[in-house]
Amino acid sequence: MLRTLIIILSLWLVAATAQAVEIIAQRAGTSASLSQSQVRAMFGMRQPKWPDGTPVKVFVLPDLHPLHGAFCKEKLNLYPYQLRQSWDRLVYSGIGQAPNEVATEEEMIARVAATPGAIGYVRKANANDSLRTISIQ
Amino acid sequence: MPTIPSVRFLFSSLLLLAALPAGGVELGHGVQAHGFVSQSVVFTSANKVAGDSDDGGGFDLREIGGNLSWRPNADWLVSAQVLARWAGETDQFDPRLDYGFVEHNLINTGDDRVSFGLGKIKNPYGFYNTTRDVAHTRPGVIMPQSIYLERIRNFFLAAPGVTVRGEHDRADFGVTWQASTMKVEASDSEVEHVVFLQDLPGEFEGRQSWLGQVMADFQGGAWRAGLSLGNISVDYQPGAAFPSDERAGRTTFKPWVVSLQHNRENFTLTGEYSQIGISGQGYFNPSLNSTHTAEGWYLQGTWRPRPRWQGWLRYEQIYTDKNDKAGTRFAPNKETYLGHSKAWVLGTRYDFSSDLALSAELHHVNGVASLSPQDNPGPTFSRFTRDWDMLLMQIAWRF
Repeated sequence: MLRTLIIILSLWLVAATAQAVEIIAQRAGTSASLSQSQVRAMFGMRQPKWPDGTPVKVFVLPDLHPLHGAFCKEKLNLYPYQLRQSWDRLVYSGIGQAPNEVATEEEMIARVAATPGAIGYVRKANANDSLRTISIQ
Repeated sequence: MPTIPSVRFLFSSLLLLAALPAGGVELGHGVQAHGFVSQSVVFTSANKVAGDSDDGGGFDLREIGGNLSWRPNADWLVSAQVLARWAGETDQFDPRLDYGFVEHNLINTGDDRVSFGLGKIKNPYGFYNTTRDVAHTRPGVIMPQSIYLERIRNFFLAAPGVTVRGEHDRADFGVTWQASTMKVEASDSEVEHVVFLQDLPGEFEGRQSWLGQVMADFQGGAWRAGLSLGNISVDYQPGAAFPSDERAGRTTFKPWVVSLQHNRENFTLTGEYSQIGISGQGYFNPSLNSTHTAEGWYLQGTWRPRPRWQGWLRYEQIYTDKNDKAGTRFAPNKETYLGHSKAWVLGTRYDFSSDLALSAELHHVNGVASLSPQDNPGPTFSRFTRDWDMLLMQIAWRF
């Protein structure tokens, strides 16, 4: 009984940690905050530029990555399959392009830090000085 | 049995695609490449779909396509896709430009965007028309035939013209809209089979037509609702063989579809209802100058019990004339099933990865309105069987 409780508690802790997601951008960017509709349009590949005109480069983790699922729910208020369906509609009818997919959180941090106009996401614990964090107004 | 070319096609396509990374290829300078391929096998208890489906299996159902898009800066987008398709008698590896256009962003205020496009553009109609040939984007193995009828697909899929497209975003809802004017490409025999029920020596030619769509989503897409409508006309130019040919005339299609969808984490409910008004004028045969309205709808529940698994159940029906649901006007004797199709569809899909999927679908059908006359040659009143079942299996890859 106690063992089950410990397992449930540790699973809950892992889930709680995984769900603290931070949106990140390249440090040189100008925006420190965006509205939720702007964030959803950027990650939905429908908004190709930042408010200052810089082209947006979107980085995402694979559809089944737990952090991607947490990001979609927490920051965009939708599910990964809905985002995938929106990208597919754009990509295969020619009215938009696909985001850049990275395999790991480390690769996400490295690519976002090195790419002008980049936007992505990390676990809150992994946000650091090489990145700018974006808050949702 | 599968033909040697179809097996060779499948293996060479899969080998080619296996070498490509998931999620498309970045070619630098804002250029991306994507592609897709699928091969299906069809078994029917009666009637033919994609070859000898009623006699050992129909393997003549496959598609392959690839696209390039180039975004030189945030305000311009150039994209084109080539598609080749095999589907029984109606499509036999006929590579064509699926779309090819330039789009320029005119307004971008952050939450409002308006763009102008010029070229061959996909026609937005219902939830799925613009990407209906990409297996991964379909709600099943084949499109719901009640709304996206395969036998009138080609001339309704994409057309050269101009389009204005807009998006409006708010915290808890968004609207996208599109209005296009174009000349449909109606020169293959598909439209003749719809209007004349046969292929005559002359040809149809598209007239200036228009199509519009408004889609709204609420709560991040938990609810989606849309209206698509159009007015599409084609002129018939007779061949030299008159009087066996029909004289010049004009047919106008006025389609509309209402779309509604509810999305939850593990469940999606989708319904679409459409009517297509079809009217003729100027034809020598007075029966072609009448007006009638085709009606179709479906309701589909899709479950995602586990991340890689999906299952769905759909009921759909189509009537070629909504004011003659009994089907007696067209078939005064006992072949009233020519004018409708009612089907239960049960399906499942497994995604091995984000780019490779295997799916299967079982159809239990009453009526034959969804079937292609080209695939089922013979006298109109004896070539079809009223009650039939169909099993489809499909493997699909995309990048």
